[in-house]
Amino acid sequence: MGTSYQAVGWNRQKKYYDWVLFGFCLLYLGIFIVLTTVFNAQYSFETLLIRASSTLAVLLLHVILAIGPLSRINPAFLPLLYNRRHLGVTMFMLAAVHGIFSILQFHGLGTVNPLVSLFTSNVNYNSVSAFPFQALGFLALVIFFLMAITSHDFWLRNLSPKFWKTLHMFVYLAYFLIVMHVMLGIIQYETNPVLVGMVAVGTCTLISLHLLAGKKEVKKDQVKFRPAEEGFVSVCDVSDIEESRAKIFCIGQERIAVYRQGNLLYAIHNVCKHQGGPLGEGRIIDGCITCPWHGYQYLPANGQSPPPFKEKVNTYEVKLEGNRVWLNPRPFSEGTPQKGANIT
Amino acid sequence: MTKQLRKKHLQVWSLLAITLPVMILAGVLGVKNPVVTGSLFQPAASTALPLITHSVEKGKYTVHLRSSADRSQTQLEWINKASVTNPSALIYQRDGNNKEIDGNEIIGRIESKGIYRFFLKNDSARSNHFFLYDIIHRQIIDSINF
Repeated sequence: MGTSYQAVGWNRQKKYYDWVLFGFCLLYLGIFIVLTTVFNAQYSFETLLIRASSTLAVLLLHVILAIGPLSRINPAFLPLLYNRRHLGVTMFMLAAVHGIFSILQFHGLGTVNPLVSLFTSNVNYNSVSAFPFQALGFLALVIFFLMAITSHDFWLRNLSPKFWKTLHMFVYLAYFLIVMHVMLGIIQYETNPVLVGMVAVGTCTLISLHLLAGKKEVKKDQVKFRPAEEGFVSVCDVSDIEESRAKIFCIGQERIAVYRQGNLLYAIHNVCKHQGGPLGEGRIIDGCITCPWHGYQYLPANGQSPPPFKEKVNTYEVKLEGNRVWLNPRPFSEGTPQKGANIT
Repeated sequence: MTKQLRKKHLQVWSLLAITLPVMILAGVLGVKNPVVTGSLFQPAASTALPLITHSVEKGKYTVHLRSSADRSQTQLEWINKASVTNPSALIYQRDGNNKEIDGNEIIGRIESKGIYRFFLKNDSARSNHFFLYDIIHRQIIDSINF
């Protein structure tokens, strides 16, 4: 983690995830190339590669953007969240293959610099129907490039999590550019309405998932907790929290995760120090609360990463009255040990 | 994630939910010259009509205008000696005196080395004048007038 800029080692899950991803990409490219060769033999190899890499990149982009809301709607999708950045970097590499070959094929044979040609060969910037859609794809590729090269923890540490997060929010602008790049390209250049339909279905699904998950989160955040004595608020029944899992409560502006570890309840700040991941959506592995995004770990009793790592989060006081869980939303300093609430 | 960040995500997706459909719809409705339905490539099984009525020899391709024995069918035969250097090349048939690309008939698309055959409509208003048009660069690459 923090000390050597390596988030987590190449554990078994990560290797498995990457092999599945690699296998899927190979299978997709293979099927695409074979089917196109059989049914559209007139396409040149460059066109085949451009199309195969682009369709796979768009598919992966949709999967990447769907994982977040799916995990919030159903925790069964959380394992997909764990190694999402490898998915992102893979998607960028495929998009780069598409972009580089497209520039070479469509703009590399003229007398003008290919990049200049990309932006100046079609200057219908005031027309939606004849808009130079390739320029949109190029801008999206630049965003993906910046995201991919800053995805390593070295950059996260040096750029600061806030700057990094802001940069990564540009993925939504990139998604807008990609959808318009694909749709305008299809509308202007293709004849098959199935392609338009596929992109439209993907976009609608993604938007619906995000709005659904977003509304669920808003609902969670809007729950009003009854104020009680000594600053404690009643949050839930003890049976609502599964073993080695947490429930997240938003009190005021802060989200707090209440974890159950054996017969004890602990509360920590919900935001991971690494990339702001939701600690309450993770689980306790090897005695540590494990962030679902990249596997950063914290001890439930003091909110500290196990040595030699130095990350710390705020801790909170929890108590039990009968079956009712009470939480004090006043944070203790990061890494302050708590005795926890004993479930008798 | 913090509450504020979640809220920001929801705002962004709400914005996308409005802008993306509007922009896509504007694009679909804005296309003045909807392209032909079906494949722009001719089926590989297209056989050549027996008579060659006109021929043009260019460096990288040979183009024939073919017809059936009774002259009831016409066919454009495009023989690419190599892959075209403009891979986004479409063939248009000039409609009367229309000098703009918009409004002319798209005949088909060519790309790699090989023989392409496209059936032409028997329409007296259409000339035997064809354009090879690069849709990416929006420029006429070549003009063939039989």
